Amino acid sequence: MSKEKTPRILKIGILRFDPHDPEDVPHMETFEIEESDGMTLYIVLNEIREHHDNSLKFDFVCRAGICGSCSMLVNGRPTLACRTLTSKLDENITLAPLPLFELIGDLSIYTGKWMRNLNEHLETWIHDKENELEVDKLEEKMEPELADEIYELDRCVECGCCVAGCGTIQMRPEFVGAVGLNKIARYHLDPRDKRTNAEYYELIGDEDGVFGCMTLLGCEDVCPKDLPLQSKIAYLRRMMIKTSMKNN
Amino acid sequence: MKQKKIDKTPARLDFTQSVTGLILAIFISAHILFESSILISNEAMYKVTIMFEGYYFFGETYPGIITFFAAAISVIFVVHAAIAVRKFPNNYKQHKVMREHVLRMKHEDTSLWIIQITTGFIMFFIGSVHLYIMMAEPSNIGPFASSFRVVHEHMGPLYFLLLLSVVSHAFIGLYRLAMKWGFMEGKNTKVSRARFKFLMKTMIVIYIIVGSLSLAQYTYIGLTHDFSEVKKYKSKIIDLRAH
Amino acid sequence: MKVIYTDVLIIGGGLAGLRVATGVKERGHDAVVLTLVPPKRSHSSAAQGGMQASLANSHMGEGDNEDVHFSDTIKGSDWGADQEVARMFTHCAPKAIRELAHWGVPWSRVQRGDRKAIINAESVTITEKDEAHGLITARDFGGTKKWRTCYTSDGTGHSMLYAMDNKAHEDKIDIHERLEAISLIHEKGRCYGAVARNLMNGELVAYVSKATTIATGGYGRIYSVSTNAIICQGMGQALALESGVATLGNMEAIQFHPTAIVPVGILTTEGCRGDGGLLLDKDGYRFMPDYEPDKKELASRDVVSRRMTEHMRKGKGVKSKYGDHLWLDITILGREHIEKNLREVKEICENFLGIDPAVDWIPVRPTQHYSMGGIRTKYTGESQTLKGLYSCGEAACWDMHGFNRLGGNSVSETVVAGMLVAEYISDFLDSSDSNLEIHTSKIESFVKKEQDKLDALLSKENGEDAYILRRRMEEIMMDKVGIFRNETDLKEAVDELQELLKRSKNIEVFRSKSRAANPALVNAYRTQRMIKVALTCALGAYLRKESRGAHSREDFPKRDDENWLKRTITSWPDENQTMPSVSYEEINISTMEMPPGFRGYGKDLTKHHPMTKVRQDSVDAVVEKLKAEGKDRFEIQDALMPFMDKLPKKYRGINARLGENI
Ligand SMILES: Cc1cc2nc3c(=O)[nH]c(=O)nc-3n(C[C@H](O)[C@H](O)[C@H](O)COP(=O)(O)OP(=O)(O)OC[C@H]3O[C@@H](n4cnc5c(N)ncnc54)[C@H](O)[C@@H]3O)c2cc1C
Ligand code: HEM
Ligand code: HEM
Ligand code: SF4
Ligand code: F3S
Ligand code: FES
Repeated sequence: MSKEKTPRILKIGILRFDPHDPEDVPHMETFEIEESDGMTLYIVLNEIREHHDNSLKFDFVCRAGICGSCSMLVNGRPTLACRTLTSKLDENITLAPLPLFELIGDLSIYTGKWMRNLNEHLETWIHDKENELEVDKLEEKMEPELADEIYELDRCVECGCCVAGCGTIQMRPEFVGAVGLNKIARYHLDPRDKRTNAEYYELIGDEDGVFGCMTLLGCEDVCPKDLPLQSKIAYLRRMMIKTSMKNN
Repeated sequence: MKQKKIDKTPARLDFTQSVTGLILAIFISAHILFESSILISNEAMYKVTIMFEGYYFFGETYPGIITFFAAAISVIFVVHAAIAVRKFPNNYKQHKVMREHVLRMKHEDTSLWIIQITTGFIMFFIGSVHLYIMMAEPSNIGPFASSFRVVHEHMGPLYFLLLLSVVSHAFIGLYRLAMKWGFMEGKNTKVSRARFKFLMKTMIVIYIIVGSLSLAQYTYIGLTHDFSEVKKYKSKIIDLRAH
Repeated sequence: MKVIYTDVLIIGGGLAGLRVATGVKERGHDAVVLTLVPPKRSHSSAAQGGMQASLANSHMGEGDNEDVHFSDTIKGSDWGADQEVARMFTHCAPKAIRELAHWGVPWSRVQRGDRKAIINAESVTITEKDEAHGLITARDFGGTKKWRTCYTSDGTGHSMLYAMDNKAHEDKIDIHERLEAISLIHEKGRCYGAVARNLMNGELVAYVSKATTIATGGYGRIYSVSTNAIICQGMGQALALESGVATLGNMEAIQFHPTAIVPVGILTTEGCRGDGGLLLDKDGYRFMPDYEPDKKELASRDVVSRRMTEHMRKGKGVKSKYGDHLWLDITILGREHIEKNLREVKEICENFLGIDPAVDWIPVRPTQHYSMGGIRTKYTGESQTLKGLYSCGEAACWDMHGFNRLGGNSVSETVVAGMLVAEYISDFLDSSDSNLEIHTSKIESFVKKEQDKLDALLSKENGEDAYILRRRMEEIMMDKVGIFRNETDLKEAVDELQELLKRSKNIEVFRSKSRAANPALVNAYRTQRMIKVALTCALGAYLRKESRGAHSREDFPKRDDENWLKRTITSWPDENQTMPSVSYEEINISTMEMPPGFRGYGKDLTKHHPMTKVRQDSVDAVVEKLKAEGKDRFEIQDALMPFMDKLPKKYRGINARLGENI
């Protein structure tokens, strides 16, 4: 054990606003917290709530970087707060809710509704009307590598970081964003989904879909699950161009 | 299975934007290199000029070729610009949202896009003027004629601005093209992306240096050459009636 | 008053809740799902390791079937499980996994040919059959005879939950997010839905339904350090308890997972050990073989956790400022394996410990992980005492886990129970029993009661700080109702919790008085309920004078079938009680397919029941006779303990396996 240093005093600036309070306006509020070993923003925020201001609103569920609930802007960048160690940050830290999503209060946002609309719009489920499920029979086979590849894209946690990190969608909220495109790439890859390319084109072959993406790559750089978003959007773009050329 | 008719316009527009951008970028990379032949010697630049005027094919120069060439590039230029303006923020609100986003995120690729938008906007004006001149007086190209334009027709500063714009726009554009279509992405896309980005930055620096040197050379010639008699360069080797 | 009517109200949008929802929808009934968080954020997503189902595709799973899975589960439960339920479960697990595969879970697959694996710290080559290529593969998990735990890389729960939620989208199920059920609406022993509070605007809504299902997951957060998500606060169990009618079963049965990281308690999956990872002490010595020469690191969870604690008590733990810990070494698996199959573990190590598990050892210690106890139900998932109330998943004590559940059996339970309970509920809805016979004024009175409680909390002055009470409760549970338990500690725990409960009636919501989204208010009323749940757990543990499965009494180290082969049942019939009421439900040996025996860890200290031998003899006789008659395993099983007629018809089919029934 090395000699103990005096711990830093972190200055946590939080963008606060309660939309249910007619008198409230968005404002910054700063809290001072003594840093401890292995401290994450999850610990920081709970400490603030428990000892400084119990009305502070934020969302954590798994607190392990798994569920995608705790996305927020940390010093302007969208990320998962629960797995952000304060030791990797400056002592002045600003926290703000992700833009674009409906605000519930302070750092708490309603990503669930947004994602549900997206999923319903893109119909993110296996479309297979031909094969009736028979639970007693052996499962359908799948190449091991393909299963891995699908899982790779299935790892998205719907945290919304890529949405908050994308300038395009900020300007044009109708755009499906990287999260939506990634989902289509996932189903496109999946042999169990019987949708044709033309049907996929219907879903994303326009300015609100893959052609709306301006390759800003914010999504790729902020995705906490390191999904290959750039590569998959490029793949979809090629697929969709091919589809438009073939299909008469 | 349903076979509905799909609307191909978005796909075509996107593809055209990239293809026109690509053509323009290739054109510009060559253009600036040809332009820099002035750094070798007046004679070299002269040779390049008459090459484009068709001398080496026909034994005679036809400046009309340049006009035609300029017109063709202009069309591509206009098409590209027309398609790409769709991506501009189309009202003040969008502009503001984007501005805030960029300042907050401090994200390189997003900032690069802002550069592209801005430089595109600049080229919209200067590029058009330049193209118009090239179409209007195609025969006024050469070591002396060009230098005259740079210095005495005050095109120098504009060219410099145009140079900065077009070089950054073109190479950022090429980088973005590679990302957008997944060109040569390799197994590890993080690595290939970093490589492309490095290449982009290197090319921007090289081209701005080369272009600036050429411009300096034009300026130098423009300031030192005596334009009172003829504005045109007279080659000692090649004798041309038209010139 | 806002009232929403539906056929089935499902409280909880995890794997269990969603599976019930799609099931009843398929049978043509409306369903509304209430959930604290978007369903995809439910705690089910955290399950990394896998789901048990006896597919027997992979080489190391060859020979596996329902019988083996059943016997592992019963042994694992230390004979506390309901054997019929466990039979139903093992029979349906392969169906559930195939269904999920159909709905989009990618499941890791068998790759034909040779592959290297680490078994018992040695590299071995496993050869997979050609015909298994592309079928769902499995890994090794603690307490199982065969490699049976199917997985998707290390995001099993995530990929299952996403597939389930997407299926719910497809079926257009109403999902109401950020709505917290705060009390059950019931009359004359019949449940008619719940009062829920909208966590965004504070509005109270009455959901009136013919059947109500609680699938709210576990109650791990009554402990100060837990691998559970912070929403696993036992609110479902509290709902049932506060109804005064429904009962809870085996609340003292709490599982500790051997390998959560120190200090934050985030889990590293059992897959780490399953794939060949080792436990080391402060000297870098592999100690598990000394205690469990046979199964070593892969002994059942409760056993490994106890052995680790014992070893640390011998002074072999690594000292740290957060207390002692041991090491989990997965470096021997190699970087490639870790980055592909244990990536979530790698991310956790990087983000929360700042280490690279491919080169560094991971600091771990046993941590609260799973609640075997919960709302006591019949095999149909219906409460034994409150008609129309159902429960499944971790929230329930359906009782296939008894006193210790096997890794991988829990996500498996959620989907199996979900699909079965959905059928039983649908049958109930199709019968005339299900009519809604409750007057609006009654519904109103339930809503009003909750409103008054909230008002009282908000207007209270000079009261107690909810955080202080809650932290104290968490500490008591951790220190006194932990891995090893004893009379003195448990007595203190019960007394002190009772004191806390009294104080909790006096909680004040400081500063933050908003009726809308208000975390302070939420904490206030949840703390009151959590203390009640904690009490059922502590009291159950205090009274149970034996050691069984995860419940381990230092003062009563033997399993005592003679006196304690029974379930602890707790309830709270009167609001003013400061202690739960306790009764017991006997577990009948004479109908068991697998009479109590020795679990195979350490020495057999069991105090056997006289009935055990009688039943064992008759089982042996039947088996011998039928075998001689050339009967197959299904016929023999049926003769010992028939269960098929309890299953919904559509799930009675025999499961196909490579080389069986295809
Ligand atoms: C870290 C970790 C790893 C695990 N790994 C494995 C594994 O590898 N294999 C395995 O088999 N098991 C594993 N488990 C156990 C398993 O994940 C859980 O037991 C199982 O997922 C529980 O599912 P569930 O549907 O019952 O509940 P949950 O998934 O916990 O869902 C509960 C739902 O109830 C809702 N809810 C709660 N209270 C209320 C209320 N008052 N009103 C409205 N809604 C409410 C929540 O919003 C949530 O949607 C693991 C557990 C942990 C902690
Ligand atoms: C009036 C002049 C121009 C304007 C307004 C303009 C505008 C734009 C804009 C806004 C984009 C970004 C499009 C997007 O994000 O999807 C773009 C892309 C691009 N531009 Fe230009 N541009 C102009 C001229 C040029 C010139 C002269 C070149 C070449 C030297 C060029 C090369 C490119 C390239 C290669 C791209 C990338 C194409 C793509 O993303 O599909 N542009 N242009
Ligand atoms: C076919 C069309 C074109 C022709 C024939 C042409 C020709 C020339 C010539 C002869 C010069 C030297 C200066 C002069 O004589 O004025 C020049 C300079 C330049 N041109 Fe063009 N040009 C063309 C299109 C473009 C376009 C489309 C752009 C970018 C939008 C462009 C950007 C520049 C720049 C930046 C310079 C300054 C070069 C330097 O710094 O070296 N040109 N061009
Ligand atoms: S793609 Fe990445 S950033 Fe976007 S929602 Fe999914 S996990 Fe989050
Ligand atoms: S940031 Fe946005 S513009 Fe495209 S590449 Fe990512 S979606
Ligand atoms: S709380 Fe689950 S990802 Fe942060």
